[in-house]
Amino acid sequence: MTSDQKLRNDRLVFYTPDVQRLEGELDGFLELSGARSALLIDREGHLVTRRGDVVQTSLESISALIAGSFAATREMARLLGEAQFTTLFHQGQRDSIQVSLVGDTALFATVFDGRTNLGLVRYYASETAQRLEGIMDEMKCRVPGEIEASDKLASNFSESASAALDKLF
Amino acid sequence: MVQINFAQKQVNAKIVYYGPGMSGKTTNLEVVHQRAPTANRGDLTSISTDGDRTLFFDFMPLDLGTVAGMRTCFQIYTVPGQVYYNSTRKLVLQGVDGVVFVADSSAAMVQENLESLKNLEQNLNEYGKSLATLPHIIQFNKRDLPDAMPVEELNRLLNAHAAPCFEAVANSGQGVFPTLKALAARVLETIHTGSRGSSPQPSGAPLPSPAPAPSASGTAYTARPLSQTGYAAGVAKPAAPAPATIPMPTRPGLAAAAQAPLPKIQHRAPAQTSADPNSRTAFHAPPAPAIAAQGQAPIPMQSISMSAAAPQQVVHAHGAPAPGMVSAPPSAPSASLQMMRSDPSAHISPVAPARPRAPAPARPIARPSSARTTSARVPGPISASSESGQKKQFTTLMLVLAALIAGAVMAVAVLS
Repeated sequence: MTSDQKLRNDRLVFYTPDVQRLEGELDGFLELSGARSALLIDREGHLVTRRGDVVQTSLESISALIAGSFAATREMARLLGEAQFTTLFHQGQRDSIQVSLVGDTALFATVFDGRTNLGLVRYYASETAQRLEGIMDEMKCRVPGEIEASDKLASNFSESASAALDKLF
Repeated sequence: MVQINFAQKQVNAKIVYYGPGMSGKTTNLEVVHQRAPTANRGDLTSISTDGDRTLFFDFMPLDLGTVAGMRTCFQIYTVPGQVYYNSTRKLVLQGVDGVVFVADSSAAMVQENLESLKNLEQNLNEYGKSLATLPHIIQFNKRDLPDAMPVEELNRLLNAHAAPCFEAVANSGQGVFPTLKALAARVLETIHTGSRGSSPQPSGAPLPSPAPAPSASGTAYTARPLSQTGYAAGVAKPAAPAPATIPMPTRPGLAAAAQAPLPKIQHRAPAQTSADPNSRTAFHAPPAPAIAAQGQAPIPMQSISMSAAAPQQVVHAHGAPAPGMVSAPPSAPSASLQMMRSDPSAHISPVAPARPRAPAPARPIARPSSARTTSARVPGPISASSESGQKKQFTTLMLVLAALIAGAVMAVAVLS
C-alpha cells in the first residue's frame, strides 16, 4: 500500500459540493418515500449529513448506535456464512428505522412512521443507497488538485487545537 | 477513521479506551463526563450488563469547540474488557484514531494486562493497524492499590512502543484528564499532519512528537507523564515478558470476575433506564420474554436510542420486504429474509391504509428543486431483470397449475 493510499484509507473527507449532492439525493428520497428523516453516517458512526425532520435526540449518539448495530449484524452475517447483511430494520410502535449499506464506507439510515410504509421506504432506500454509493465512489477517485481552496484545514489547526485542549482540560 | 466534513465544518475522530476487564475504562469515561463542561459533553450512553459490565460499548461525544473554523469532536468509546466479548471489542476498534490502554496496576492483574495488550494488537492488525503507528497512551490505573506494581516494571512490560504513560486513580479522577488530553493532542496532530497538502505521512513513519506534558497546575491531579520522567525514554522492548515469574497474589472477586463465564445476553434483567443526575443513559439488554411484554407501549421518537424499550422486531434482509409486509413495487429486488423473530403478526408493518399501494414504477418523478442529480428515479436494469424473472416465475406457476388441473380431471374421469 502506498503512502497516498494509506492516507486515503485513514480518513474520510467530505467536500462541500459532494455533500450538497448527497443531500440532494436524501431530499429526493424523503419526498418520494414519505419518510421523516434521512441520515448519512460513516461506518465509524460519525454523522455525515442529515435531512428531514429534526430527530429529538443526540445525533451523535444515535449515529454511533446505528453504526454499532450494523457492525454487529456484519459479524452475525459472517458467522452465518453471509458476506454481509445489507439492510437492517428496527420496527417500533410509532417510528421505525431502516438502515442500508452504502458501499464500504457509509450507512444510510431513515426514520419513518405510519404516514408511509416499509415497502415504499425500502424500495426507494435501495435506489438511493446505490446513488449515494456512486457519488462516494466518485469522491474516492478525486484527484487531490481538485480540492477547493476554501476546503482545507487551516495551517494553524494544530496550534488552535492545542489551545482548545488547554482550555477544555 | 477521521472524518473531515467541510460542508458541516466539522472534524470527527474516534478514541477508544481499551484494557482488561475492570481496569477502569468506563470509570475514566464517567469521570470525563462528570467533569467536562456541559456545553462540551454529550450524553454518556452505556450498553452494559446487569452487573454494570460493559456489554458492547460505552460512548460519549466530546466537543472540543471550534478549532481554526472547524467544529472538532471526539467520539469516545470504551470496550468490554472481559475475554468473552472479543468479537464486540473488535467491532468497536473499527476505524479507531487513537487508543488509551488502561492497565490495572495490581500485581494480580499483570497477566490480564499482557493478554489484553496482545489482544489489542491482534485486533488492530485485523484492521490493518498497529500500535507501532497508531497514536496511543498507556494509563497505569489504580495506583492507590496496596499491591500496585512499580511503574518502571509496568512500563517495561506494557509499553513496547515508548508511548506516553500516565499514572491514575480513575475513581477519584486523578490522571483521567491528562491521559485524554495527551491522546487528543496526538490524534489532532496526526490529522493535521495527514492533511498537509502534498506531503502525506509515509506509511510506517514515526508518529508526530508526543504531546507536551500536561500541566498539573491548578488541578488536584498527581499523575505525571512517565515519558517525561525517563521511564519511557530508552526503554527497551521487552524481549519476552515472562508473566510466570511475576507473583500473582489472588484477588478474590476481581480476578474471578475477569475469568468466570459470563451470563449470556438473553438472561439479563428487564430493561431499565438510568436516572442518575449525570444523564448517563443505560442500556440493559432485556430477556426475550420481556421484549414481548414491554414492546406494546408507544415508543416516542426520542426513545429510539435513549429509551430502553426494545424494538418489536429486527429484520436483516437483502432488499425487498418480507412476506406479509405491504409489498414493494413490482420491480423491487426479490426478498431474501435472513433473520426474523418468530411472531408472524409482527411482520406486518403499521401502514396507513389510505396509502396507495406500490405505485413506484408509474409514479411521476417529482424531483425536488434542491436535488442536484439529474437522473430520474425510474427503476433501472436491476428492476428490468427482476421483471423478466417474475414473468418466468409466473409462467412456471401457470404450467404447474395446468398440470394439477389436468391431473384432477383425469382422476375424476378414472373414478367415474
